[in-house]
Amino acid sequence: MEDIQNSAPGSVPAGKLGARKGADPSQNAAKRLQTELMQLMTSPAPGVSAFPSADGNLLAWNATIEGPADTPYADLTFKLSFEFPSNYPYAPPTVLYKTPIYHPNVDFSGRICLDILKDKWTPAYNIQSVLLSLQSLLGEPNNASPLNGEAAELWDKDPTLFKTKVMDRHKDIGDD
Amino acid sequence: MAAAVATSKWKTRRRRVYQSVFQTDITQPTPHSTPSSRFTEQGQPFGGHTPLSELKHRLHNANYALAASPDPAPGTLQPPSGHRNTTDDPDHRSVGTSSSYTPTVAASFASPTQPPPTRHFGLQDAAEDQMRYDRAWHVVTLRIALPASATAEDSFGTLASESQYQSQGQGTSSESEFYEALRLVVNAPTALPRAAHTEDLLFWHTQQVRRHFAQHVLPLLSACAEGLLGEEDLRDPTGRGSYEKHMIIVMSSVRTLEAAMRLYSYGMQLLVRGIQRVQAADKENAAADPELSAGRFRRDVHALVSNSASPQLMRSLRVVLVHLVGNTLGVPAQKQGRQDRDAETTRPAPPTENDLNSLASRKRLLELLDPLYSVGLAGERFQILFAEVMDGMMSEFVKGAYAGVWASPTEQHGLVRSTSITGLQATSPASSSPCISSLCNWVENHYARLAIEVLSRITDDPSQPPVTLSDVKTYQSLALGRLAALRISELFDIVLAWPSSRGALDDLRAAITTPARRLQLTDSFAEALRRRLLHPGRSTLEILQTYIAMIRTFHALDHSKVLLSRVSPNLQLYLCGREDAVRIVVTGLLASTEEIRAARMEKQMREEKEGMGRGRQARTPRSGAFMTPALPPRRGLRSRHGTPDVEEAGIRDVPPPSASTAGGTHSTKLVELALLMTDPVQSRRAGGADEDADLDWNDMSWVPDPIDAGANYKRPRSEDVIGTLISALGSQDTFIREFQVIVAERLLSDQARFDQEVRVLNLLKKRFGEAALQNCDVMIRDIQDSRRLDGAIRKVQGVQDGEQPRPPPAATPTNPKTRSRPAPPSASPSASSTEAPYHARILSRLFWPSLEREHFLLPAPISEQQKHYEQGYEHLKASRKLTWLNQLGQATVELELQDRTVAVDCKTYEATVIYAFQSSDTTPARMTVSDLEDQLQMDDDLITSALSFWASKGVLARRGDTYIVLETAPASDQALTSSAPGSPEAAAESEPAAAAVVVDEKEAGRRAVYWQYIRGMLTNASATMPLGQMAMMMKMLIADGFPWSNEELQEFLGEKVGDGELEIVGGKYRLVRK
Repeated sequence: MEDIQNSAPGSVPAGKLGARKGADPSQNAAKRLQTELMQLMTSPAPGVSAFPSADGNLLAWNATIEGPADTPYADLTFKLSFEFPSNYPYAPPTVLYKTPIYHPNVDFSGRICLDILKDKWTPAYNIQSVLLSLQSLLGEPNNASPLNGEAAELWDKDPTLFKTKVMDRHKDIGDD
Repeated sequence: MAAAVATSKWKTRRRRVYQSVFQTDITQPTPHSTPSSRFTEQGQPFGGHTPLSELKHRLHNANYALAASPDPAPGTLQPPSGHRNTTDDPDHRSVGTSSSYTPTVAASFASPTQPPPTRHFGLQDAAEDQMRYDRAWHVVTLRIALPASATAEDSFGTLASESQYQSQGQGTSSESEFYEALRLVVNAPTALPRAAHTEDLLFWHTQQVRRHFAQHVLPLLSACAEGLLGEEDLRDPTGRGSYEKHMIIVMSSVRTLEAAMRLYSYGMQLLVRGIQRVQAADKENAAADPELSAGRFRRDVHALVSNSASPQLMRSLRVVLVHLVGNTLGVPAQKQGRQDRDAETTRPAPPTENDLNSLASRKRLLELLDPLYSVGLAGERFQILFAEVMDGMMSEFVKGAYAGVWASPTEQHGLVRSTSITGLQATSPASSSPCISSLCNWVENHYARLAIEVLSRITDDPSQPPVTLSDVKTYQSLALGRLAALRISELFDIVLAWPSSRGALDDLRAAITTPARRLQLTDSFAEALRRRLLHPGRSTLEILQTYIAMIRTFHALDHSKVLLSRVSPNLQLYLCGREDAVRIVVTGLLASTEEIRAARMEKQMREEKEGMGRGRQARTPRSGAFMTPALPPRRGLRSRHGTPDVEEAGIRDVPPPSASTAGGTHSTKLVELALLMTDPVQSRRAGGADEDADLDWNDMSWVPDPIDAGANYKRPRSEDVIGTLISALGSQDTFIREFQVIVAERLLSDQARFDQEVRVLNLLKKRFGEAALQNCDVMIRDIQDSRRLDGAIRKVQGVQDGEQPRPPPAATPTNPKTRSRPAPPSASPSASSTEAPYHARILSRLFWPSLEREHFLLPAPISEQQKHYEQGYEHLKASRKLTWLNQLGQATVELELQDRTVAVDCKTYEATVIYAFQSSDTTPARMTVSDLEDQLQMDDDLITSALSFWASKGVLARRGDTYIVLETAPASDQALTSSAPGSPEAAAESEPAAAAVVVDEKEAGRRAVYWQYIRGMLTNASATMPLGQMAMMMKMLIADGFPWSNEELQEFLGEKVGDGELEIVGGKYRLVRK
């Protein structure tokens, strides 16, 4: 009797004690992305969100970043696209701004200069950390290695003009 | 007695029947028949002998009809036949039937062997000859004519008919008159050359006999057969029950026939004697040997009798034969089906020398044969019948005597073996099998002997032995074939009954010598396997047990394992579908010595019990257990089925140290494996050391590979049950991994010693090699080391353990390389101030199966100790850190409640939860799941399970969402007793309720997550989406599956629209922009 009492509820934590088996490598990327999605959904970070594209391809995501307050980008939202390689997370995703943005580290076609998306990438990063990095990049651009030299210059010299340029450049894109 | 009464009754009845059908007075010597117009036209002067002439005409008619020759030649003694004597005919014919010349007749005029046709003979002479012939014919035929009612006498078997005949014969003609007439009739061609119409006297007699038989004897026979049998007997298909009645039928039929035979042969003898006499006097005309004709006549009549034997008679004869042969051979009659044959009494067995029943039956049978032979009933049909009966007997004997007899009944058959002369046993490998030798003996000494005796009595040719030695061998091999078929059909039961069924395997081994038989065996076994074992109704444990028995059985049957390899693939495939198979095997291997001992004792007891009913043993009890769907308790298995996860179940499987009771534990474990593991024979082939076993010149038991072995066949060296079993479960790696997980569980349990594990590990090392099991080595060493380390740390820290350490709770490891699991201490809610002893086990992370870490806050005093301990460890091993696995430890908890003290060994999370109640400031202490969740940061699943645990201990009670401490035990004794042993009702009640709460909470959490998905989807994937696409995306993207239907999703979205979160635009949903 005692055993039954004990074992029935005991079976619940069993799943938690168990060894987790490694998944088939070819499935890794999709599995990992699914897990990341679940994490994003269960513990969303403020100001950023991401979701696989509507065509159901897990390797292509869209993301949204809200411009942090106290930066020229406050109250703006930016859309980004993520392309994941099949060996993700061992290689970084390709991230582009879809929304036109005026920023020292982003060029006019939306390409981003960010070390963790290049050589500093490790599998420990995930979508959320990338998005948070990008978000913080909005407030603290790395002016040492600009893609947009003018923006880098204006950031320090003329914040008002910079803000104007940001607002000029920004344009909400609709999906449909 | 009863038989005698029945007989006399029957006789009177039969007489009445007979008299109503036949007139009993003497009738015409020859039957009437209407003369044909053709013959009257010819105007034969037959005078007053109408009956005779009529007969003659009738016969003529018959002859014309029968054959092309118009006149049978009277001079020949040949029995009538179609092609007879055409050359003799023409001259008679030319005279008598001048109007009907035919080309054939014309041609034969020129025949030189015949006297030329004498055209000078006047009609006058011809008529005179004919008249003389006819008179002589009349005399003779009158003498031998059969009375119509000849067999009508009441008493069969008297010689009345003979005397009657004689008186009748003397009344009409004297001896000399008869012989003179006979001479004329027989020598008609020479003595009365002009008699146109002559007859073959023997042929006439034969015909007369035929007619008589058909008209008078056959009705009597059928009266014999039908008079006696009731409806019931007719329905009884075997008829064995009414043997007496059938015997009466046979006997009366035989007597009737005997009487008829006497009649027929009397006439024949007269003729034969007469003809001999005539021939002796007249040498020239000795045309044919009358004895020969008489023999032919006898055969003729026998054929007549045997071909006209009615189905009823044959049926009765069969019944009688079955009964007598059965008794003679020791195959008892089966009364009303098999149910009421109680085991030993009606089992067929070879009759002993002085078995009166057998001897009497044999005598009776042989007595019956002589009359049967003499009346002609022992012809081909009888022989076929006999063969069928004998064939049936053999099957029945084999089936009856050996079905289910697998043990060796040596005493019983030992003495007869020596009398064999065929030497079959000596040369065949069967010599070891008692069943085979007793069967061979039976065939030789009873079966073949009976066949010889019977056949020699009914054979026509006594010079030829009816049964030769090679026939006997054929019988034996037939019998062996049947035994093999029987054993093959029993094979599955034999496997189940292993090892008490060894004897049966001896039989089988001797019999399966051809590839065809081997194929039949494997086919039939595979089928039985599929039907009886490989279905969901069988537990994995049973399947494994059967598989072990199979391996051993088939190995005993065929050392080459070829047979096994043909039947096991299905089983192996099926086993792969059973997730718990590997686990059962491993836990079986790790069975403790107590369990082994218990299993042994149980086995012994069972054997003793079965020992009393030897012979049938094994079968009834064992197969009984396997046949019933109700199976031995399978508690361990069930909990395993519930959780695909292995670890938990394994922990539960560890038997409580106190409960080493025999019954319960045995049936849930594959203890056989532990036994096998220690069996030196089994482990002989350690690690392929004797790779070159094929070259072992000293192997005196070497045999060539079986011919049906495959091309790449590799001879296995020993039975090696464990090896076969493990390979059946997939690769060695799978097995070792599982072994590791289970050993890990056991090492982390509170067992004090791990002798059994170490022993099994060492045995496995022999099998798989050191390297494969290195991890397990490390694990065991970890545990041993941590004991030392534990002591060292405590000493360094100067912790005084006032008391002896309890079973060391597990604590743990460390730095990148190690991990630690916590050892919670004994916590006592009411007395938290006293320091509890704290011990840890330190595991090397890389060598243990990955253990999930579960986060929760330990009670403050414990975590302090933990920190303390950690420092001590880091002090000892500077480069390492401990990672605590808090949920894996054990704690001893003493709860001081108002009216009682409860001491429990439990898991750390359980202890933590109950400890948390101490912090509650209400009285009695009460907490809800979410309170606890906040306070302990523990997973709610764990909390719920811990709460149920304490509720089952009677410490907590559930009140709605809240749990309260029961400071005083429930008032009634009933409640107390029911809660102490873990009140099933209480648990049953509380659990669904708890589940409902959990479900609600879970459901709410799930809805929140789904809402996040939907928001994320509408934010990023596409700003507007229709319901169907959303549902599809959710199904695809949520790893654990999305259980909602479209309707449920729609309802959910509808709520959100109601809340103003969503809006519907053009049938698509989109987020409301804020």
